[in-house]
Amino acid sequence: MRSKIGLLVVFTIIFIIPTLNYAFAAGDEPGEYLDRRVVIWNLFFRMMVVAFTIGAVVSGTMVWLVWRFRESNPNAKPTKYEETGEW
Amino acid sequence: MSEHGNWAEWVYIGVVCALLVWVGAEAWNVERLVEHVPADAEVIKVTGQQWFWSFEHEDGTKEIGELHVEKGKAYKFEVTSKDVIHSFNIHDYVVLIDAVPGRINIVWFVPDEVGEHEIQCREYCGLLHYNMRAKLYVEEST
Repeated sequence: MRSKIGLLVVFTIIFIIPTLNYAFAAGDEPGEYLDRRVVIWNLFFRMMVVAFTIGAVVSGTMVWLVWRFRESNPNAKPTKYEETGEW
Repeated sequence: MSEHGNWAEWVYIGVVCALLVWVGAEAWNVERLVEHVPADAEVIKVTGQQWFWSFEHEDGTKEIGELHVEKGKAYKFEVTSKDVIHSFNIHDYVVLIDAVPGRINIVWFVPDEVGEHEIQCREYCGLLHYNMRAKLYVEEST
């Protein structure tokens, strides 16, 4: 359990710390303005990268799952319930 | 059930949680940055009404149907409405905020190029909504 919590903490830290650094390093000098077009587009771009990556991983996993565990796969082994016919 | 490990599920949960946190943090941060109005921004009062836009600069200058601003300068729009809900939009600068009667909504931007841009209403507000437009003129700074 401890290692699982550790894993969660590591994941969280990896993503949160860079974001906070970026947030609090934002400049506030007069005459230096952010370009809202760039900032908003960048957010959209990053979110799309995440969305399409996750989409690819999830759909890839599902395709693999269906292919690997199809009945006609020579490596397929019936579960113990299927063997005995008891459900 | 007890003979198999469930480490994969925990990794999956960890990745999903981390991604959710990251997505939330990024969106929150961008919203914070975009909503932070620069201290030196000039205030322009924007009023929407069926079916035109009027503008009032800090020095009292009023404009109807057109707005003149200077390149490289920050402007803070205080947007409201006199009748129904409108939405103030400068498409080319990704400025978009609702104009609501009895409320003042704030949005800011910095025009970075000289030119003309369309201002239009983005909330259906009646018969002539389609033609509730104004012109933004970005001029060289004096």
